[in-house]
Order: sequence, then C-alpha cells, then structure tokens
Amino acid sequence: MSELAVRVGGEPTPVPAARSIRGYTAAVARSRAGAGIGSLLGDVYYAGVMIGVGVLLALGALQQLPVRDAPVAVEGSTSLAGLAAVLMVAVVGAVLGTAGRLGPIGVGGAEATWWLTLPVDRRGLLRGSVWRLPALAALVTGLVAGVLAAVVPAVGNPAQVGLMGALAAATLVITAALVQAWRGSRVAVVAGDVLLATVPVLGAGAVLAGWHPATVPAVPWWTLAPAVLALTGLVWWLDTRLGAIPARSLRESGSVAAHAAGALTSMDSRELGRALTDRTARQSRRRSLRMRLSGGAVRALLTADLLVLLRSPRHLVQIVAGALLPYLVVSTPELAGPAQLALAVLIGGYLATQATGEAARRAEMTPAVDRLLPLSARDVRRAHLVVPATVMTLWAVVALAAVGIWHGEFWPWLVLALVAGPAWAGGALRSAYRPAPSWDKALVSTPMGAVPMGAAAVLARGPDVVIVGQLPALVAVLVGSVPPSVLGVQVATTVVALLWGSSTETRSLMDRLAEAQDATSTPRR
Amino acid sequence: MAKKSSRPAVLRAERLTVGWDGRPVCGAATFSVPAGRAVALVGPNGSGKSTILRAALGLLEPLSGTVSLLGRPVDEREASFRAQVAAVLDDDAWFPALTVAEHLYLVARGHGVGDADDEVEALLDEFGLTGHANALPNTLSSGQRRRLLLAAGLVRPRSLLVLDEPEQRLDSDMRHRLAERLVAEKDAGGAVLIATHDPEMLATVADAALIVADQTRKVTVDEAVDALRPGVL
Repeated sequence: MSELAVRVGGEPTPVPAARSIRGYTAAVARSRAGAGIGSLLGDVYYAGVMIGVGVLLALGALQQLPVRDAPVAVEGSTSLAGLAAVLMVAVVGAVLGTAGRLGPIGVGGAEATWWLTLPVDRRGLLRGSVWRLPALAALVTGLVAGVLAAVVPAVGNPAQVGLMGALAAATLVITAALVQAWRGSRVAVVAGDVLLATVPVLGAGAVLAGWHPATVPAVPWWTLAPAVLALTGLVWWLDTRLGAIPARSLRESGSVAAHAAGALTSMDSRELGRALTDRTARQSRRRSLRMRLSGGAVRALLTADLLVLLRSPRHLVQIVAGALLPYLVVSTPELAGPAQLALAVLIGGYLATQATGEAARRAEMTPAVDRLLPLSARDVRRAHLVVPATVMTLWAVVALAAVGIWHGEFWPWLVLALVAGPAWAGGALRSAYRPAPSWDKALVSTPMGAVPMGAAAVLARGPDVVIVGQLPALVAVLVGSVPPSVLGVQVATTVVALLWGSSTETRSLMDRLAEAQDATSTPRR
Repeated sequence: MAKKSSRPAVLRAERLTVGWDGRPVCGAATFSVPAGRAVALVGPNGSGKSTILRAALGLLEPLSGTVSLLGRPVDEREASFRAQVAAVLDDDAWFPALTVAEHLYLVARGHGVGDADDEVEALLDEFGLTGHANALPNTLSSGQRRRLLLAAGLVRPRSLLVLDEPEQRLDSDMRHRLAERLVAEKDAGGAVLIATHDPEMLATVADAALIVADQTRKVTVDEAVDALRPGVL
C-alpha cells in the first residue's frame, strides 16, 4: 500500500508487537482490580450456607418419615452402556454445534473495537484467547466422562475415558476453529445440529433392534499417542490460519461468546439459549397478532406471556425434555433409585422453569411495555406468575407421574404435583427479575476476567426459591411416598415460593434487617 | 456529483450491492472517494448507509460488486489496510479498566505514532476531554463517549477516514468544530467517506453525495442538503 496521506505526530515509531498490546491491556486491568479473590469467596460461602441449611432440613425431614424400599426399574428397553454410546454421539454434536455458535474463535466488546483495527499481526492478538474454548471443552468433557465412568463401570476405565473424552473435545473444537478460518462458523453449527438430530433416531433404532450392550467398546491406551500428535498438528495448523479469520466473523463470535459468558456467570440457561440461538432465529413473522383475545391489562399480559412461550420451540423442547428426565431414570435399571430420581426431578424442573420464565425475563430487560399498562408493579409481577405456574403444574403432573408409575400408585403423586407445581413459578419469576451484578462496585480480578462483588448473591436468586418451594416434594420422592404431613408442608412452601418470587422488594433480607436495626438504634429527637 | 476529480481514488466502489441474508437493503452504489475529497451518504434511517460503510471497511461481504482501496480489493485482514483506514462507527465498547487517555494511547502507540503524548493531549483538549482524561469511559455521558471515539479516529495516521453519523449525540458547537476538522482533514490530503443527517455538516464537508435508497443515485451536495429537509426523503 502507498504512503499515508494524513500523518499524526512526529517521526513514526515501529508498530508494537500484538503481544505487547495484549499485555498492556491486561496489566492495566490487573492494576485496577479493586478486590481480591477472597471477597468473592465470601459470597460463595453465603450461598453455600443457604444450600447447606436446605439440605440439613431435608435430611432432618427424611429421618422423621417412613422410607419405603425402592422398587426395581419399570420394564424398559434401555441398557446404560447403550444409552452412553448414543449419548456420545449427542456430546460430539453438542460440542461441535456449540463451538460453531461460539466461533469458536471470537473477539468481543472492547477488544473488537480497539484491537482489531490496529495494524498489528492479528495472530498475536488472538493467541491469548484461542486456547480457552478447546481447554474448557476438554476440561468439562473430560471431567464429565471420567466421573460418568467412575459411577457407571460399564462405560470403561475412568482415567482412560476422561482422557480420551478431553482429547476428543479439544480436537473437535480446534477442527471447528479451522473450519471457521476456511468457510466460517456455520459449517460446524450445521454439522453439530445434524448429529444431534440423529440422536433420537439412533436411540429408537437401538431400542427397536434390541441393542443391549453390557459395556461400551473400550478404546485401547495406545491410541492416546496418535491422538495427541494429531491434536498438536491441528493446533500448529490453526496458528498459521488465525490471521485469515475476518473481523466480522471474530466480532460476531465474540459477541455471542460474551453474551454466553454473561449467561453462565448469572447461571441463566435462558440467557445462554438466547445467546446461542438469537443469531440464527427468525427475524420477522408473516403477520402480527392484534391481541383481540385480550380484554384488559392482565389478560393482555397473559396473552403476551403465552405467545412468547408458544413462539419459542426451543423452550417448549426444554420443558418436554425436562419432563422426560424422570422417565429416563426409572426405565434404566442401573439408574433407578430415589436419590437419582429426586435429582432428575430437580434438574428437569429447573430446566423447564427457566423456559417458562422467558416472558418475565424479557419484561425485566425491557420494562417499557409493562409500564404502559395501568397496573402496579406488584400486579404486573403477579400476572407474570400465571403462565409459569400453569405450565409448571402440568409439567409436574407429567414428571411426577413417572414417580407414580415407578411406585405403582398414581393419585398421591397427582395431588402432590398439583400442589407443588405452582411453586416452580416463584423460582422462575425470582430468577427472571434477578438484577444484573453491579459493575460499579469493586471488581474481583480472576484468571477468566473481572467479576463484580456480590455476583454469587445474585446467582442464588431463583434457585433459592426453587429449593424452598420444592423441598417437601423432593423429600416425598426420596422416601417414596406422599404422607399427608408432606402435602400440608408443601401447600405452605408453595405459598411462600409464590409470594417470595413475586415480591418487588429489591433489597436482600440482610440489608433490610440491617436497616431496621439502624432505624431502631437511632435515637429519636 | 460534483465535477470529476483528477485526483487518484483512495476508495472506489463499483455497483456495490449490500444487504443481509442475501437481500439487498438498497440499490447498487457506484462511487469513488479521491484524496482530499469527501463523499457523503444521505438517506432515511434503515436505508443502508451504515451497511455500505461496513462493506467499504471490509466488515461485511457485499452481495455483489466490488470495493477497492488504493487499487486493491478491500481486505481488512491485511495490516496495511488497517493502517490506511480509520473508522468511527457506532461502537460503544470500552475496556472497563482503561481511562479515557489510555484508550487514546492504545490507538496512538498501536499505530506507531511518534510524540503520542503530545498528540493525545492535543486531541483531549480539542474534544473537551482534558478534565476527563483519567476517567473511565463508562462514567462519561454518551456525548463525551462519542467525542472520545472521534478523537480515537483522529489520533492515528490514515489515508481514508470513514464516519457513520459523527454528529450523533454532539452539541451544536462540537458539530461545528468537527466539520471544520474534517475540512482540515481534506486539506491535508485525506479522503473522507461520511454518512450524515446533518445539513450543516454535509454542506461544509462534502464534495459529492449519494442518496441511498431503493435506487441509490449520485447527487450534488446542494441536492443532498435539500433532500435532508423534512418530508423530502
């Protein structure tokens, strides 16, 4: 290129190395961090104590109740090894699809604006972050695979399975990165989604073909060496291609990754789903509903909430998948057990709850529409409870029916579902109206970036109501029966969960107690 | 467009069609921005001005047509391209720990500016940010953050300056001073491509204009200023 037309400053100096640009930004960020990692641990401690209290209450209740012997699994056609083999295909699809959606190489926010426009070797700017996603994928997949193998011997040697899982995940992400440099991220997304779509077909095929392997075929140890070599080669190849990734691809991926990281920080699966799908979602609709069904502000709100849910197939799938989890547990002999079933109900319910809270979450993000309605903040909040409460009650009927089928009785579990179902809505609403962590407070510098003080307390909003609201139902699942006393306590905790979830109070209990104490200790004049 | 210039074209777009998901947002645009001249894009909101600017910067793949910088196809992956082109778009992203001055130093030193201290100081003064040099950008008003972005575009060397509605969020005095700054940019031999809704900015800075619409067309600056009147576009 020719000489620059507009010069700035005196004699130009050499353009610095990309590494020093990264180093400068990181060093300033470190020097301005206002709090140590110990401050963050304080929040974690508080959340841990809350969860511990809940668990102790549950254990205390368990000791008081008659525990029924757990029955064997209902007659089914699955074997754990077969299930694990099919799940491996799902994991490959999920890793590939997620890597494609996240880039896997991206530059977001300030880095995109201030780094990508500099005339430095872009590879040097990217080298600092390019390893993060492969490493994260390797760590998570390796840990999950290793723990799974430790719990279920049919899967194989835990160390071997974990190591191979980690290597496979890292290789998949690096491959997706190479594809990004070559043809863009879309290829990996489509490949991952196609693999995921084949999982139900493979599962049905395995059941129909009567495939019940006792163990998952083992991969020999010697394959580790060529796998590591192949991964090293891919990493070297990727390094040579980093500069070929266009800024638009880096920016798009970076923006999705930042959105997803924010969702993970706030433990918000709905936000995570939005981060990973909004870019590919439909941007317009054929027509707009005139809301003729709605008469009055509350009915308008309910109609809008229902539309948000019905127009989001992802959330409907999330609700159905959550309801099927207990069935998976009771139909797999190696999995069937009270604790596993309670965990499945809790995880499945939390997944479904997050889906039903989508409309409230959107209302919290853009409150302008709600403010146009002639309703108080509390009435708006209560109106937003209706759709989650209705859907979660239906969900609880379906999910707890699995428990009923397992125990060979239906009516007590139906009654429990009708009483406990609405409590999930309290959790949905409390997490929907969860405030964002305050970035104005001191920041805690961590290896993964700055984290604001009070982040952990924010994370607990939502799960806390779920734990309180579902405690009696979980105890019933653990003991295998629904005594009247549990039903009675469940009614009370459901009322508490609904009131707590729909509360418009923004201060924490500790803050309110402290303020009340201050008010009483201040002498009156 | 104004009378043909014999100056070499810094940026040239030939039948450039831009859009999203394969759909054009406006008619094909053909224009060139010579050294020492400014070309303005005008049109209503959503007409495709910013999309054309992004394509010109290599941040968006054109649906058809070509864009070249100094005779070579636009490729923002090349460091030499990034050295030649300064852009101020509608970005509002900041390093949370870097001060106003440090953002400017990052750009200046990243582009190898000699005497970066003097340049940063001068631009802070010019954009009324001297009193906020040590502030974090997130604590500034939106207008001050816009000033910082403009200063960042000007603190580095360039042959082409691309601005997307630079008048946004600026007070009238600052708009006036910015227009004068852009005239000085042209006098120094720089080329300017600007999208604007501000008639004064347009009349002061532009030498030629395009009305971006279903049928994108070249017009004189006077016609473009008329087009900005209420109800015309």
